[in-house]
Amino acid sequence: MTPSDWTCPRRIGFLFPHPCGRTSPIGCPECQNGQIEDPYAQRTDREGYDNYGDYDSADWPGAAGAAGAPLDFTEADGENLVKPEEEFEGDLTAS
Amino acid sequence: MGSRSSGLWLIYALGGGWGHLTRAAALARVARGPVRILTNSPYAGEVRARLPDLDIVAVNPELPVARAREEAVRQVRASNAACLIVDTFPRGLGGELASLLPALGAVRVLIHRDLNPEYVRGKALDEFVRSSFDVVIRPGPAEAAPLAGLPRVRTTAPWLIRSAQELPSREAARRLLGVEERQCVLVSAAGNRDEQEWYGSIARALIAGLEGVGVRCVAPARPPGCPGEAWLCCWPAMDLLPGVDVVVGGAGYNTVNECAACGVPLVARAWPRKYDRQALRAGQAEACVTSPDEAVVAVRTCLGRPGRSETRRDFSNGVQEAVEILESV
Repeated sequence: MTPSDWTCPRRIGFLFPHPCGRTSPIGCPECQNGQIEDPYAQRTDREGYDNYGDYDSADWPGAAGAAGAPLDFTEADGENLVKPEEEFEGDLTAS
Repeated sequence: MGSRSSGLWLIYALGGGWGHLTRAAALARVARGPVRILTNSPYAGEVRARLPDLDIVAVNPELPVARAREEAVRQVRASNAACLIVDTFPRGLGGELASLLPALGAVRVLIHRDLNPEYVRGKALDEFVRSSFDVVIRPGPAEAAPLAGLPRVRTTAPWLIRSAQELPSREAARRLLGVEERQCVLVSAAGNRDEQEWYGSIARALIAGLEGVGVRCVAPARPPGCPGEAWLCCWPAMDLLPGVDVVVGGAGYNTVNECAACGVPLVARAWPRKYDRQALRAGQAEACVTSPDEAVVAVRTCLGRPGRSETRRDFSNGVQEAVEILESV
């Protein structure tokens, strides 16, 4: 049974990982009822899609990439774009 | 006429692991009056067994957060303490002291171990501490302290569970360790449960990579992968340091300060913590590592230096000074 004050500590998200925060894993499509420890890491449906189009910086004058820097965002950039929502005072085993 | 703090001192030491409880025990054992420690550490039983004279009230670490908060508040109120000494978390670990402290009649003292600046900003702790505490004690000048700029902050030497004259001799410490080799490396597995496997792999790597060197791993339970003959359970682990040539451990408050006090080189791994910035404290260590291979190389370098000098016995224990500060409030 899930305690009444439980919130899910897992990370979820397709491109940008963020805290799940659900109050119960029951019926959760991300962790499949708590069966998947790290849904974000285990997402495999990012693969197999190859029609992202051409985002060459030359097509976007004035954009950051026009000065020569590539506009090649990767999945890793998603981590940096999301400010982690650090939750304080909710974990009494922390130190 | 006694000071305002005459009477029971209640040390609020909630927080996971050994750190808060060990620091509280260090203070309590040298205080001259009655002291009670409030803890939710899973290691309360071990400390109570070693220091049976201490008054330790243990909140069940398995309690749901809401009930643990209620229990902590109930204990603080019921103690009727003359002095409430709050370790690390000004508002309480679960925020439960925030509404209680401003109107509390007791002398209120904060022990200011490092805190995550994001937490300090998010909860406006500078203003809260300014208005809710009578004294702030920073336990060690090298300890990062985001609230050090506040008034009424006093800095002491690091708080240690043993003072210099209490440490055993090198021979006695080696008997505790059970080593016969000339040199000994101690793996101090004081971290969280999910970090124990790393310590086990370190012990294994050291045994495989350092011929003729005694390797021991101190932990409350044998870390996964740690050979049984290398594991020992001992609190306080500081008693082992006079017999040790290098320590491999985390960069928690006690590990870093105990090694620094005794002059034992520390090869540290800075673990992520919600409130504590171990990476800052690891700057005091001999080397910072992340992998077992790196640890073996760093340990070998430390061991290769000519003649480790005897354990330092000239360090100050900040708890003596802290007691004087507390008695003067």
